[in-house]
Amino acid sequence: MTNYGLVIDQERCIGCHSCAMSCKQENNVPMGQAWNRVLTVGGDHIDTPEGSYPEDGDDGTLEMSYQPTACQHCENAPCVKVCPVNATYKREDGIVEIDYDKCIGCRYCMAACPYNARVFNWDEPQHRPEEGTGDVEERPQGVVEKCTFCSHRVEEGLDPACVVNCPADARIFGDLDDDGSTVSKYVAEYDTNRLLDEKGTDPKTYYIQGEMSPGRPWKGKELESELDEQPTPEEADDPDSEESMRRATADAVWGDD
Amino acid sequence: MTKESRPAHEPIPEWDEAADEILDGCGYDPDLGKRMAEDAIKITNGELTEQEFHEKYHEEVKTEFGTDERPTKPEGFDD
Repeated sequence: MTNYGLVIDQERCIGCHSCAMSCKQENNVPMGQAWNRVLTVGGDHIDTPEGSYPEDGDDGTLEMSYQPTACQHCENAPCVKVCPVNATYKREDGIVEIDYDKCIGCRYCMAACPYNARVFNWDEPQHRPEEGTGDVEERPQGVVEKCTFCSHRVEEGLDPACVVNCPADARIFGDLDDDGSTVSKYVAEYDTNRLLDEKGTDPKTYYIQGEMSPGRPWKGKELESELDEQPTPEEADDPDSEESMRRATADAVWGDD
Repeated sequence: MTKESRPAHEPIPEWDEAADEILDGCGYDPDLGKRMAEDAIKITNGELTEQEFHEKYHEEVKTEFGTDERPTKPEGFDD
């Protein structure tokens, strides 16, 4: 059975917010709302480091990293358990979704989500441009909404917008039940963690820290399962491959560390 | 982390305040929402079963919402 999950390589993430912006555009997320956020681990404010600047020949202790956050599509989702009308539900492919026709806006799911991943449409949704953006119908005032792993794209054989539009190839989406998928290989091979793992929610988003992975080893919009030939991280490491050329260009633009 | 090694769920003060803000003016019982939210984490944490959770809140949920469509309903549960 398919069980979709996401790997985010925090060693590759450059904090550019492309994932957040492409999510907002693709999913017609109203003004003032965000399904996908990039938090700064460091100072008290976004894009500020903690520590001290170098002084008098010292090295300083400045440190900052990024924590991309959205719905974790938990296997054991608390939000699903508290919904009195079963508007929030888990699909057979592992994606947690909301039936906006059923949602009564009680917000119990928001209180139950330990990741603060849900937003509520307090007002009539506003969009720029006014007709909205992307390929998803707007949600009405008075309902809760959140990341869907771009299920409308996944159903068309396409990767989520945040994955395709990450210039650092830091996001890899795929089937965690397929041992041969890149997400499964990376979870097995790299040092990964999941947010609030101790709560037992069994999130489907894994974060790589420590050693940098080769990232998403294919280009294009397709789901890995839709590719004619399965990519391998080794291909990405081949200096003569087209993929490596593309990475070299990206590194020149975005930096390689 | 195994079920046995998970620490007991202790709500943090920040969550308490955040939950109050989220549920304020929701049109339904905010206290019920907070209690259910905390206990939902206790299910994931292994401190509470889905059956216990369902039975504990069934009457309150039915009274508050007029229905109880939660997926935690045990097989054979008598409405």
